[in-house]
Amino acid sequence: MVPVLLGASFVCFLLLRLTPVDPAKAYLSVSNIIPTEETLRVVREQLGLDRPFWSQYVHWLWQLCQLDFGVSFFTKLPVASELAARLPVTAMLAFSSLAIALIVSIPLGIAAALRKNRAMDHISRVLAFLGASVPQFWLAYLLIYFMAVKMDWFPLQGADTWIHYVLPSITLAFALIATYSRLLRRGLLECLEQPFVLYANARGLRSFTVIGRHVLRHAIRPVVTAAGMNLGKLFAGTVIVEQIFAMPGMGGFFLEAVFHRDYPVIQGYVLIMAFVFILGSLTADMIQAYLDPRLRQSMGKEG
Amino acid sequence: MVRKRNGRITSIILILLISIVMAGCQSNNNTSPEATKESATQEKANTEKTLTISWPKDIGPLNPHQYTPNEFFAQGMYYEPLIGYGEGGKLVPKLAESWDISEDGKVYTFHLRKNVKFTDGSDFDANVVQKNFDTILANKDMHSWLGVISQIEKTKVIDANTFAVTLKNRYYPALQEFAVVRPLRFLGAAGFPDDGNTAESIKSPITTGPWVLSEYQKDKVAVFTRNDNYWGTKPKINKLIVKVIPDGEARVLALEKGDIDLIYGEGVISLDSFVALRDSGKFETSISDAVASRALIVNTAKGPFADLNVRLALQHAVNKTALVDGVTNGVEKVADTIISSNFPYANVGLKPYDYNVETAKSLLDAAGWKLPEGKDVREKDGKKLEIEMVYMGPDQVEQPMAAAIQSDLKQVGINLKLTGLERELRNKRMETADFDLLFWGTYGAPYDPHNFVSTNYEPGYGIFESQQGLSMKDELHQQMKDVLLTTDETERQKLYTSIFTTLHEQAVYLPISYLTNIAVYPNYVKDLKFPAHRDETPFDTLDIQK
Repeated sequence: MVPVLLGASFVCFLLLRLTPVDPAKAYLSVSNIIPTEETLRVVREQLGLDRPFWSQYVHWLWQLCQLDFGVSFFTKLPVASELAARLPVTAMLAFSSLAIALIVSIPLGIAAALRKNRAMDHISRVLAFLGASVPQFWLAYLLIYFMAVKMDWFPLQGADTWIHYVLPSITLAFALIATYSRLLRRGLLECLEQPFVLYANARGLRSFTVIGRHVLRHAIRPVVTAAGMNLGKLFAGTVIVEQIFAMPGMGGFFLEAVFHRDYPVIQGYVLIMAFVFILGSLTADMIQAYLDPRLRQSMGKEG
Repeated sequence: MVRKRNGRITSIILILLISIVMAGCQSNNNTSPEATKESATQEKANTEKTLTISWPKDIGPLNPHQYTPNEFFAQGMYYEPLIGYGEGGKLVPKLAESWDISEDGKVYTFHLRKNVKFTDGSDFDANVVQKNFDTILANKDMHSWLGVISQIEKTKVIDANTFAVTLKNRYYPALQEFAVVRPLRFLGAAGFPDDGNTAESIKSPITTGPWVLSEYQKDKVAVFTRNDNYWGTKPKINKLIVKVIPDGEARVLALEKGDIDLIYGEGVISLDSFVALRDSGKFETSISDAVASRALIVNTAKGPFADLNVRLALQHAVNKTALVDGVTNGVEKVADTIISSNFPYANVGLKPYDYNVETAKSLLDAAGWKLPEGKDVREKDGKKLEIEMVYMGPDQVEQPMAAAIQSDLKQVGINLKLTGLERELRNKRMETADFDLLFWGTYGAPYDPHNFVSTNYEPGYGIFESQQGLSMKDELHQQMKDVLLTTDETERQKLYTSIFTTLHEQAVYLPISYLTNIAVYPNYVKDLKFPAHRDETPFDTLDIQK
């Protein structure tokens, strides 16, 4: 895990400094200042950009070892506290949409598989089609317009209470529901063909038991993998939703940072994202191991 | 690492799901007390005169002497200058009641307003002015973009209500520059950090202005309450709430829902939304006078535009009226000169170039760019007439305008290549004068026209470089330097007239439109009047009558 993080941080550090734009100039243009020699020199010095590349990288790593992410070029506040203030909003959004996606898509997927080519399957197919093709921002505006402006059931903006999270989470979950329910449906249909299902049925087990205890265990594995990978994507993909619903999360902050060439923030964010991605796949692997004893055995042999 | 446990898979999944849901609920519950508090303050607010607006970004730490992340508008409405910028660039007394300029034009003596108190009860006097100047001058390099700062030789407290600033050289725009939003505005003494240097941070935003910051949640909301001890005309509303809403369309929906009472500013919502709101009949809309200009910089240093005839052809070839009305729906106004005539010294009676395709064609013919039989792009010595225009790629206005100009130029046989770039890359192209045409905006009121001329003669910004193809460039740039040193009004107007005439005749800019501030509000918002200053706001003059 450490090598991955280190590698990610170095690549990010290097790529940032290879881009042709000077963050000092970016700062001045955002502040609506005509760049003069003196202002540029002052800003470069303030931002620590006057030092050579390796010195900057080592300095940054050293700070990182002390859990110090540096100071944002733009907000002039420590990156760690800026990210810490925004992480809960994004995390909350990511987890709640993942939860909604799982809660809706598991029953939907099962229903679609068991009622293959019947009404339920068609409904789930239409949903999947919409989920895959409706752009997120459009869905967000539709939800705001009908649920918040017309019906006045939900607040428009903010992140103060759980009600504020309902519409953004649904927006994010919509596309996931489409993927997960179709993945689960396919997995279930494949598993239902397996001889052990026939055997279980022959043993006279109730179909609920067959599905719940035997089939689902196999069929859900692609969903677990997808969900593990989506965790990172969700964290990174909240940008649009955060902007539209005016939620003070990490996404909007990062977007600004990219426009401004705010190196410390970009670096800190990339590091956290790398961590979340690793965490997501690791968790998925662990759940996989629970679900499939064969994986554990092969792991045990290697270890 | 994983303990072996056969069966019970369903229960594990179930537990997992439940725990995710519970985790969600739990963190939700934690935040609910805050929400009840907020709705309580909102209820209370309704009984008073409260104006709720939105802004794309957080207001920032309200440090009057620093830049980003401090938002212009917030610094502008919160802190006060010595001199205010009124209509048509007229200078009006603010914290200085009056001022004298010595005969050599170097010493500015300000007679400060008496009986002005800061919000913490302390007096506004020459000593606190000195304290503010000290920290501004300590960070001189950072502020060197503002001409007057680099010209200041010394400052002096003469008595409690008199303060003098001595400049190294004569510099006429000094007075205008005392009106800018940052860094020349005044923080109360108790707001300074212990070392007196505000470069890093301030202790608290203590001001003489009409508003006091009473509640602040970063990235969410800022609440300003009326300063009842304000020396000037007090605002008619008691409270101003600024909500952070980054997205323009979401802002429109918030207005429709009644969450906010006013949309104000430049480019805060898309022009389509503005027109939709205007046509809906549910809201009042208004547009300010010109606050800045949108223009194309024409690069005379290289390529086809080194030839004056080609530059003149460009002026006649673009149908500006159709362009500006089509793209901005009348929100911006068609520009005939680079600086709008409502700016100081800019009303010099230049004759606009008319839209005339035939004139453009004959000018191109005269320049030697002929249209070969059966082709639609002109050629000269076997080279095609191709030019490159650089614009800001994601910009909602520049992009459609660029496309419209491309089709206009096609009519006269010019092939326009469009290069849409992200802001910082576009800035880089500008500095190196690596373009034929480039979308650019002036700094606007109160910076122009003096800031405009200095961006023209200072190397390094890209405009000076783009004017290297002019035969009279040295004379022009010398006039630009001289005009800033004039003390005599007639002499100054004469120089400006000459500068504007040369720029116009040499067609080094294609003026397109004048930018405006827009406002959209329900009809209970009354008396909204646009300030002349680009970055100031009308919140202290408007009223609410429900």
